[in-house]
Amino acid sequence: MSRLEISRRRFLQSSVIAGISITLAPLGSKAFAALFEAQVTAAPQPWFGPNRTARFRIDGVSKACGEKVFARDIRAMDMPGWPQQQGHAMLLKATNVDQLYAGLDLSMLGPQLQPDRIVTAQDLQQDGIAWPESHGPDPLLPEGQVAMFYGHPVALLIWKDYERFREAKGLLKYNQQAVRYGVKAPRYQTDPYGSFRYVRVGGVDAFAPDTFSSLKDSMLFPIIRQRKPVWSQQALINGDLTEQGLYYAGQMLQQLQSPPDDWLVFDEQYKTQSVEPAALEADNGNGWYDPQSKTLHFVVATQCPFEVAEQTAHMLAPSRFAVEKLNMHPGYTVGYGSKYNNIFVFYAALAAMYGDGTPIRLANDRYEQFQSGIKRHAFDMHYQLAVNKQDQTFQIMRTEMSLDGGGRANYSSSVAAVGATAAQSIYYFPQSDMAATAYHSCGVEAGSMRGYGTLQSMAATEMMVDDVAERLGVDAIELRRKNMLRSGMKNTQGAIPAGALRLGELLDKAAAHELWRDRVARKQRMDQEDPDNLYGVGFAIVQKDFGTGAEAPMASVEFTADGQVKLRQIAIDMGTGMATSQALLVADFIGQPAHEIRTGETEWPELGLITSGNPYIISQADQDTNLRNPRWVGKLASASSATNSSYFSGHATREAARVLFNHGLWPAALSIWGQGIYGGAANPYVLRREDAHWVDGSLTANGMQPLPFAQLAKKAHELGLVTGASVHGFNRWAWAEAEFEINSALDRVPLDALAVKYGEGAAPDKRALMTTAGYHLLDRRSVKYPDTQLNNAMVTYYSPVATLVEVKVNKGTGAVKVLNHHSWLECGRVIVPELVLGQLEGGIAMGIGHALLEELPLYEGGPGDGTWNFNRYQLPRASDVAVWQQTAEILPPLSASDPAKGIAEVVMIPVVGAIVNAVAQATGKRLRELPLSPARIKEALNG
Amino acid sequence: MRNLLLVTVLFSPALFAAQSSEVERGAYLARAADCVACHSTDDSAPYAGGLPLESPFGTIYGTNITPDKEFGIGNYTADDFYNAVAHGKRADGANLYPAMPYTSYHLIKREDSDAIYAFLMTLEPINRPAPETSLSFPFNLRFGLSFWNMLYGSELQLAPTTGKSEQWQRGEYLVEVLGHCGECHTPRNVAGAMQQDKTLQGGVILGYLAPSLKAEDLLARGWNSEDLATFMAHGISDQGSMFNEMYPVLHHSTQYLSLGDHQAMATYLLGEQPGPSAVISTQPLATLSESAQRGRQDYLNLCAGCHAAEGQGVPHVAVAMRGNTTLRQADSRNLLRVIDDGIAEQQFTGFERMQPMPGFADQLDDGQLRDLLNYLRQTWGGLPEDMTAPQVSELRSQKGH
Amino acid sequence: MAKRPLTLQINGKLVGPLEVPDDLMMIEFLHEYLNLTGSRLGCGQGICRACVLILDKPDGTSEEVRTCITGAHFFNGKQVRTIEGLAQRDASGAVSQMSPVQQKFVEHFSFQCSYCTPGYVNAATIMVEKLQRQPVKRSELEQEIEAALGQHICRCTGYVRYYQAAKAVVEELGLVREG
Repeated sequence: MSRLEISRRRFLQSSVIAGISITLAPLGSKAFAALFEAQVTAAPQPWFGPNRTARFRIDGVSKACGEKVFARDIRAMDMPGWPQQQGHAMLLKATNVDQLYAGLDLSMLGPQLQPDRIVTAQDLQQDGIAWPESHGPDPLLPEGQVAMFYGHPVALLIWKDYERFREAKGLLKYNQQAVRYGVKAPRYQTDPYGSFRYVRVGGVDAFAPDTFSSLKDSMLFPIIRQRKPVWSQQALINGDLTEQGLYYAGQMLQQLQSPPDDWLVFDEQYKTQSVEPAALEADNGNGWYDPQSKTLHFVVATQCPFEVAEQTAHMLAPSRFAVEKLNMHPGYTVGYGSKYNNIFVFYAALAAMYGDGTPIRLANDRYEQFQSGIKRHAFDMHYQLAVNKQDQTFQIMRTEMSLDGGGRANYSSSVAAVGATAAQSIYYFPQSDMAATAYHSCGVEAGSMRGYGTLQSMAATEMMVDDVAERLGVDAIELRRKNMLRSGMKNTQGAIPAGALRLGELLDKAAAHELWRDRVARKQRMDQEDPDNLYGVGFAIVQKDFGTGAEAPMASVEFTADGQVKLRQIAIDMGTGMATSQALLVADFIGQPAHEIRTGETEWPELGLITSGNPYIISQADQDTNLRNPRWVGKLASASSATNSSYFSGHATREAARVLFNHGLWPAALSIWGQGIYGGAANPYVLRREDAHWVDGSLTANGMQPLPFAQLAKKAHELGLVTGASVHGFNRWAWAEAEFEINSALDRVPLDALAVKYGEGAAPDKRALMTTAGYHLLDRRSVKYPDTQLNNAMVTYYSPVATLVEVKVNKGTGAVKVLNHHSWLECGRVIVPELVLGQLEGGIAMGIGHALLEELPLYEGGPGDGTWNFNRYQLPRASDVAVWQQTAEILPPLSASDPAKGIAEVVMIPVVGAIVNAVAQATGKRLRELPLSPARIKEALNG
Repeated sequence: MRNLLLVTVLFSPALFAAQSSEVERGAYLARAADCVACHSTDDSAPYAGGLPLESPFGTIYGTNITPDKEFGIGNYTADDFYNAVAHGKRADGANLYPAMPYTSYHLIKREDSDAIYAFLMTLEPINRPAPETSLSFPFNLRFGLSFWNMLYGSELQLAPTTGKSEQWQRGEYLVEVLGHCGECHTPRNVAGAMQQDKTLQGGVILGYLAPSLKAEDLLARGWNSEDLATFMAHGISDQGSMFNEMYPVLHHSTQYLSLGDHQAMATYLLGEQPGPSAVISTQPLATLSESAQRGRQDYLNLCAGCHAAEGQGVPHVAVAMRGNTTLRQADSRNLLRVIDDGIAEQQFTGFERMQPMPGFADQLDDGQLRDLLNYLRQTWGGLPEDMTAPQVSELRSQKGH
Repeated sequence: MAKRPLTLQINGKLVGPLEVPDDLMMIEFLHEYLNLTGSRLGCGQGICRACVLILDKPDGTSEEVRTCITGAHFFNGKQVRTIEGLAQRDASGAVSQMSPVQQKFVEHFSFQCSYCTPGYVNAATIMVEKLQRQPVKRSELEQEIEAALGQHICRCTGYVRYYQAAKAVVEELGLVREG
């Protein structure tokens, strides 16, 4: 979920931001290839097979052959029109947060190795660089100030050639003399980044209207005093919404403190650690500023190319550089969140600007990546749960969480909010009070990372529920079953989750699995046979949201007269394989996957969209007013994050393809079937669009002759029907809808912008309508946007995953070995099974790392000092993940019309809870602090 | 009966307190004596035995000393335990092989042995036998050790303590007795016994040198009291890192001892008023021998990726060559061994962990290895003489384990 | 820093003599001097194996070498293969036929972002060539794969499909013997 401030700006047809025109040509795209004669690797065999399956990833061949697909692979000589010489830059950083920064001393480099250009805070100010506010202040620490955090950059150093750069860097690395410090100073402090509270009191039952909730009434926001959240308001049942909320919260606290006799009150503290996403591709950018044409050419690794382009343009517009054009080239990338809303890209852009006409590459080595790459820091969570001992139903859940938000605001505030609203995991609570605050610290910058707070909070909930089951003396899966959310019940914000909740199915399968059924007997046997180890089995289940609450997917599908299908998508493929799955989705309505796909596309002149305001905080009145302009949308474009590709990107892809079917291929089919006297072979039958089916790439309906797609495409062009559609959607936990008139038919669709292309055979008057970048831009009517109040729902789309894990704990070392694990996943419709299972396998590995191996010191001795690498930060290897034994099951969809739900984050979470629960069965000890390092386990076993 | 129970109940807390503090003391002393290093394997329960100890006489297995009645020492009394530890006598009367360092533990204080015994008795009994030790003839005849014990069993003497501080005396006890450092660091005679007239002057174990711990030798190799204490505590100091057989000493033993005890050991080894530690300045390439100059390129090709082009190392990743104690050992067998065999991944204290050092036996022929050794010794080791080709081949042929 | 001449064979072609700093690491030589960027920098410290190339030795065996911690001059006079040289390409440089290992990784969806893939391809190629000289017993196949690939770090995939693909390519090429 993004709290990114979107300032007022216009997105005109010519893609001009702040006076700078922007074009985007992603690496590996045909558009990029068109820039120069380089060959784009074409697959020797077609990537899709019969029945709309993917035989392999669309980008598979390039990747397997080591082609230049990452921005990091690019050098100046690869880029058409760039000078051949490649320069290099590095950032010098402050590693002392207790003394004032007193300037640089580069004398150890000697005269030969001095940088060709040094950029400091003073330069940025003098040159009018408008650093993005959300990534400020002080991108480069001014002299005389104390660093805001460990690793705060003080200067950008640029060399125009590699050899001097590498020699200089070798001397500067770990050199304590280069950055000088003066007098001691108090550490930098600032207010918490955000604080949120969600109070809910259900009505007479789970389905009745709530007495109080975030969605129905309000979220609660404290004021900040002396850098802490405090409640200045009173608790009043008849007060304003905040006062009412505080009243109910107070009632809950009282009940927890003086519970009735038949309640069990669980009250414990859970802690997580500081972790590093450790994407193997470290942050990087390579840019060339051409002063002649006033163009910045920028190759960059990012999950949000659209935002980067805009923010870079805004940053440079007021500067003395007088930039007129920005050519951005996003590469394939990988980030798990860490390349989203990442400050690094702006340093890279500046390196290019100050390169004095030489292309400059700024690329972190692994030490630098640990030092500045986005982290997810520690959570400290106080959990209270009241349970009725008679029937084991949950009564009240209360949590207060503190997040270490690191040195800059980034997304920690949002992570706090999402973490708090996810803590409920799969359970229904008649009453709940969930609060979270994200604080500044002098740790390295923290932000978005896979899980986004739900990893920390939900894993802890699963540890708690397991613990409660033990205290009640009941089966842990049974207890979950008793309390699981059922379809139509409300979440802790008072919103109703989307669709069918199939949690019972997952629980039933887990309960029936032999690992669970036989765990006690198995443990007895294993402990006896192998007295050096303690054996245990653990279970956990979670459901996690996908989407940010302000999703804005865009897609464009068109087909040529000879049957070539092209797809354009705004989303970026960061290894998820979305390029492949989106290309396949097109076949839902066209019978044919896309032959060509361009991802990371940010030129959409045919839609002419504009936006203003922030979709999360805009008032209902303002939204209503803005919507009168048919070009206005609540948000321009989604980044690739929040597990949003299969459902949200897929929505746009499918709706675009559906338009082509409804207004292009179907009428073409009717025309062919109706040929001849008296309406031909079609006449005797009743033909309905909803009875149409694609079978082996051919269209049939109600017994009509199957027509191959290619034939239909040709006909559609001949008749001048709709052969291309560009769409935009908006989702705030529900889709915006509007009516569009297409060929005199009025269609109500879940889109807020639509432009169409007519086929080659279209009549002149039809052709005359295509005035917007070759498209006919339609004006929407009767647009209905999701109410702004829905922002308080915080989440309604969920996918569940359950994991059973088998471990052994060594009595000597305290090391935990994962012996085996089995997972169940429900994600609606699966587009490409190998991609879904791959996400599960990878997510579980990351979860195992989180549970057992990965940890960073937060401050002194932590990665901010520039000395960390994978020797100390332990990533899971194949030997850690039961690589040969593990199994998984994807539940079949309810029907063919299930949506494709997002799963890329949820897959990482249950294994964490399951491991802790397994260790509990193994050792008899409930550990509440992650990771379960050998030291922590030994302490628990011995003390 | 009730009166007795009452008395017992009244007594118990104090008794418990005394008992639990004896157990705590015993736990600490077991660390100092490093019992677990030989009486466990990498993945066994603590003290459950099974570690193979290679000796010139065959493989000896560490025994199960958990209080298991079937496979451990569950039937031992405190006397039995003391007899085993100080005299090498099993409860059934058989001799232990001196792989069990009773020759050093010989001078253990009775109350310390009792405390360790009390601690061991609180452990979880592990019902699993350690592998049987069976050496080849005649070493399988344990009774033969009685004669050996007569000659060598009680030879360890502690130096006179008059005029020495408590810290020094504590250090002596930790080094000579509990820490049994002499078992590796003292040369042995042909009968395999420590040569008490050359105590702590260095020994060769399985191809590696446990170097001399004499004060003047330590100083020559760059040690000072503070760094030696740090080395005990963390396994890493400016002088390098613990590796090979010394690493388990950190892992199982010295990291758990108190700062006071680290300082005591340093004081004992270096003396109460140690002299200055030797400073060796880096020698420029042009001043080195021809062989050493040739070795520079191999250093850059194979070593500099981690140890850095000018030998400065990478903090927390690879030790520096400058100031490294192993480079200063005139007997370069350790340097040769680590270059040939590498070092396994090692977890130090806190977050410190070093990745494996690769072994370069296949990448360097004898001539290249000689050049590289000379480069290292001369540039940073303060050892200006070339090693000869026969010396290198000889050392190389004495494989480590 | 002194410079020395460096000559070696890469992917069957002679490269050099080039004057190259004596302390240059091989990965720097590949990236900044030859623009061969497929051997990827993951950790730069010899841990993750994303950077490995194939060193072909005179005795006919090969081994993976970490280019991030091995000097360029180590390869003087030697023969190496990088990821860029494993597939067959046509005159224009486009891939016409992937190697069996590459083909299997693609078919099994073995990688996601693919940053580590060149290292895996090289390691698996060495293993396959070794087994072509001496097939492996079925009971030891998994161990063989673990020995070849187990040190390589992947952050995306959880390793499952790399391992399954490695098994599949060995089996399909008939390199498993019974036992």
